[in-house]
Amino acid sequence: MKITLTVNGEEFPLDVEPRRVLADVLREDCRLTGTHLGCEHGVCGACGVLVDGEAVRSCLILAVQCDGSSVRTVEGLAGPDGEPSALQRAFSAEHALQCGFCTPGFLMVATGALEADPTLGDDPDRIEDLVRSNLCRCTGYEPIRRAITRAAQEARQLAP
Amino acid sequence: MHQWGRREDQRLTMGKGRFVADIEVPGCLDAVFVRSKTGHGTLRSVDCAPARAVPGVVGAWAAADLMDMPACAHSASVLQDLPPVPHSVLARLSSDEAVAGREWPALVKERVRYAGEAVAVVVGEDRYLAEDGAAEVTFEVEPLPAMVRPSDAARDSFPLFDGLSNVALTGEAGQPIDDSVWRDAAAVVEGRYRQSLLLPTPMECRAILVAPDADRLTVWAGHQAPHRLRRELAASLGWPEDRVRVVVPDTGGAFGSKSATFPEYVVVAYLAVKLRRPVRWIEDRLESMMVATRGRGQDQRVRLAADADGRLLAYELTIEADVGAYPHLGVGLPMQTAWMATGPYATPKVHATVRSVLTNTMVTYPYRGAGRPEAAIALERSMDTMARRLSMDPAELRRRNLIPPESFPYETPTGRRYDSGNYAGALELALRTVDYDGWRAEQARRGKDPGAMPLGIGLSCYVERSGGEPGGLFEFGGLEAGEDGSITARCGAASSGQGHETVFPALVARTLGVAQWRVRLIEGDTGEQPEGLGSFASRTAQVVGALLWHACQLLIDEARRRAARMWGVPVERVEWSDGTVRDAHDRSAVLDLSHLVKATGPLKVDDRFETGMAFPFGTHVAVAEVDPELGTVHLLRLVAVDDCGVVLDPEIVHGQAFGSCVQGIGQALYEGIPYGDDGVPLLGNGLLDYLLPTFSEVPPIEVRHTRTPSPGSPLGAKGAGESGCIGTPAAVVNAVIDALQVADPDLLQMPLTPDVVWRAARAPKRGEPR
Amino acid sequence: MKPAAFDYVAPRTVAEAVDALGTGGRRAQVLAGGQSLILEMRLERIRPDLVVDINRIPALDELRVRDGTLRVGALVRHRAFESAHAVPGPLGALFARAVGNIAHPPIRARGTMVGSVAWAHPASEWCAIAVALDADVEMAGPRGARNLAAGDFFQGPLKTAGQPGELITSVRYPLLGDDTGVGFVEHRRTHFCFAQVAAAAALTARGGVISEARIGLVNCADRPLRAHAAEAALTGVEIGPPLDGYRLPENHPFARAGRIAAERDAAPVAEPYADLEYRGHAIAVVVARTLCQAASDQRSRARALEGESR
Repeated sequence: MKITLTVNGEEFPLDVEPRRVLADVLREDCRLTGTHLGCEHGVCGACGVLVDGEAVRSCLILAVQCDGSSVRTVEGLAGPDGEPSALQRAFSAEHALQCGFCTPGFLMVATGALEADPTLGDDPDRIEDLVRSNLCRCTGYEPIRRAITRAAQEARQLAP
Repeated sequence: MHQWGRREDQRLTMGKGRFVADIEVPGCLDAVFVRSKTGHGTLRSVDCAPARAVPGVVGAWAAADLMDMPACAHSASVLQDLPPVPHSVLARLSSDEAVAGREWPALVKERVRYAGEAVAVVVGEDRYLAEDGAAEVTFEVEPLPAMVRPSDAARDSFPLFDGLSNVALTGEAGQPIDDSVWRDAAAVVEGRYRQSLLLPTPMECRAILVAPDADRLTVWAGHQAPHRLRRELAASLGWPEDRVRVVVPDTGGAFGSKSATFPEYVVVAYLAVKLRRPVRWIEDRLESMMVATRGRGQDQRVRLAADADGRLLAYELTIEADVGAYPHLGVGLPMQTAWMATGPYATPKVHATVRSVLTNTMVTYPYRGAGRPEAAIALERSMDTMARRLSMDPAELRRRNLIPPESFPYETPTGRRYDSGNYAGALELALRTVDYDGWRAEQARRGKDPGAMPLGIGLSCYVERSGGEPGGLFEFGGLEAGEDGSITARCGAASSGQGHETVFPALVARTLGVAQWRVRLIEGDTGEQPEGLGSFASRTAQVVGALLWHACQLLIDEARRRAARMWGVPVERVEWSDGTVRDAHDRSAVLDLSHLVKATGPLKVDDRFETGMAFPFGTHVAVAEVDPELGTVHLLRLVAVDDCGVVLDPEIVHGQAFGSCVQGIGQALYEGIPYGDDGVPLLGNGLLDYLLPTFSEVPPIEVRHTRTPSPGSPLGAKGAGESGCIGTPAAVVNAVIDALQVADPDLLQMPLTPDVVWRAARAPKRGEPR
Repeated sequence: MKPAAFDYVAPRTVAEAVDALGTGGRRAQVLAGGQSLILEMRLERIRPDLVVDINRIPALDELRVRDGTLRVGALVRHRAFESAHAVPGPLGALFARAVGNIAHPPIRARGTMVGSVAWAHPASEWCAIAVALDADVEMAGPRGARNLAAGDFFQGPLKTAGQPGELITSVRYPLLGDDTGVGFVEHRRTHFCFAQVAAAAALTARGGVISEARIGLVNCADRPLRAHAAEAALTGVEIGPPLDGYRLPENHPFARAGRIAAERDAAPVAEPYADLEYRGHAIAVVVARTLCQAASDQRSRARALEGESR
């Protein structure tokens, strides 16, 4: 089936089998391997991407469902000059990653929430709900909570 | 340029990490394994023909189609976390004998011995197509009785290997304790503890890509011990080692589970050679849950004796270990528990015995802690039972028995020589940090309020071993100084999230007195570093750190020698500081390392360096609230005081300690593998059935450190990162027992799931008639 | 774990979807949020020949209240119910209490309430609420549209009265009056797993006396259940004052109702970590706690009403 995905602003005209999930198409067809597959049944969240601005599990969505959609992956988080986003900087500063395999998923779920609502930093419960969305086996999550909080507070200061 | 917390972070946060599955090799095929859905049975037939007809399938084979496929390399005779079990420990068996006649075939030949064991392999143009093919393979397994508990298998009613016992190894540590000791002691307590099988569950499952090129192979694998993988794959193929290069790219966690040459790895390497095409196997989560190695798996019985003042007299630990279907490294692993049975106490008599039993579970293997959690949990649960028996505060009982700081080095009755420690220091810091007295007061308050949920406080003092066993405490590596001022460090380690690229260049830079940016690390590549052991047993900071420190000394010595020769002065006159050599008597004679290299040629030092074993220790305290009506455990607080000697990078050690505590909580409360009668793990919903802690399950955790340098390593560093798995579980379990005050603490076996806790909450309390 | 091959269509109207689903003897599956369907395909429990993606049918995206009835279209995502104000009155509060137990934000952003009803997992929060509130399941099929009461719709684990070729277009709930208090309590092992037991309750009271009780049971049988016997035992019972502590007195009407729900209404199934004895006990406790929560909600609503009328 012929579809078009806009991934990180770039158009990808693709011919994919309907059964191929978005994660595999991003990784294999678009060669964007920053999106990781940790469980392939929607639990771990390592495959998190934004589809039309919304954080989803790219292992539980077919690529054909996303025809015409705009997809953002971890490769699309950096600024135009390649500078890391506030969230990426915060993850590093807070040691919110060790092996780094789950990191793209956490970054995407937090990016989606932060961009939808720059006042996220005011609400610790909502940040905790985001951290609860994914699995990490290295860090024990607390550094991830701190990192998202740090970036959210930074965004809060910039927001009107 | 942004300043990154760790060097690794730049690529890992930007989506530029490179894990095995990310590597693009043109024409690479995907291998998929067809797996038995029965735990034990006779393989009657396999038909791969229908798979071969599936579009996109390149080939499909059962063992019978590949009769010359090499058997799975077992490592009992080579160096690993646990070297060969010393013969002195063994009455009759050696590890080689444990393995003899019990070959682990890479694909099932006649008998399926664990659920998920591979009966065929299908190779396709991609994973989807290979799975299409795998779905068409038919096979027939005639079921045999499946044994998933060591006590069942040890009866030998159904030998897993014809003519051989299911007991693959027996061993002991310490001397048998005379009956009179138990008879005459003021207090003797007993316990039975189950250490469930656990899934290590790194977020990246196993992965290997093998690319042939003429008569050579390049292997990419997420792995802890690339040189071992090279050696074993080469041996499997009957090739010389120098024709195989193993590269470890980014690795998504390992926790001990990625250091072996797995059956699938043998098959993939074999097929890559046979097909002359690159082949990869990217394990998916469901197969990982079925067939990745398990950790723990011990049934323990203990006896602990004390005098009326609470001084420990004797401790006896009997281990029946579930080592899985094939005698791999896990056969000797329970000896680690036996050797560490003494724990942090000055108990005069300690005796531990091990019986390693083959069962119809996937092979048991090191998982973060690897033998030490089992030792710490058994002892620390027993300590709490003893404290209750003596009506003594559990902190006080421990205080009276901890090995005092002046006793080090301390020879334990189970054959360990503890290097250094201030065990009481860690205990007192933990009690202060958690506000022990405050929680005891709260516990008493709740005891009088029927509307309040009961609360308990659990202690766990531990000592563990880091670095490896004698004979495996060395590492290879070196330094190379470039004309451009760069310094390249090489070593045989491999990172799976521990931040080596950050920690080791910083260590080298610090030792040489140069800027960090000048130093880079190359590891995890047998093409770059000819010899190496790898990263396991919490050895990397301790052993590899010491090696790189030593290499710095060699480099400095060589630089001074060269400068002395160039300047025609005695070497004693040449000083090293901040990356430069200078003549102590001539202030104008100063040369930066890069200029020295330009003037005198390439400067490269390499060596092998060995340290002693080290014994990190600490105390963990958990505070738990229990809902006795539903059996839910709510952790209110966890304090972990660890001492891993001199810390190379505090933030990284802190991060590992914290994450490790959460894995320890997982073992205590959530993680377990239920089995059906057919020996099949009941994990059909994947990670919705095997429950890892999520952020919701993480209590407020405070990690603190004391610092007692190891005398056995020039840096004074001991291993870090396994502390939570070792210290935390018993603290959690003890807190729950303390909350419920159950008369029979053996009712509480991990994981403390709600049903288990509810049953214990209904059972008679202490002091009540049973 | 890759899905096996299937054909895929994305119709633009319900009629086209029904046509597609009815195409001759093939195993067809409706794809809405996909968070259960693709999971089941991954776990190799469902292998459709045809997937009918209804996400491009705008008519199904509707969340509407008319004549005291809430109609939830097949594409309304779980997330829509996170705010207690998305749906008027106590029903909105009940949905908001329940939805927080469903997975986590990314799943809730995709998965749909109607999809949960169609999946009919015994541990589904929505299914039990639908049964408790006598929701109507609206289906379109080759022989036209039909409605089925939720109580008749669920027939076993992942089994419903829906026929091949039928598409659930919406589920309709009666709104709850302001004299009704609601509760939802879920008991599970960690944040990432199905409920071991959960319950939904709606207590309607006049003058502090319960006139109607509705209790939905989650994972207390092979299908969602309504606890009729326990409900009957609550009629005429006083809502009573708030209680101290976590443990109800044994003779408290809510504790009694919990035991009745466990003994007479539920038909628990044993699972690892929840054998029949434990599960039976947990049902009694969870139902009692849910009733306490609903009573507390009812009290505060009654107070608010009094305040308004003054």
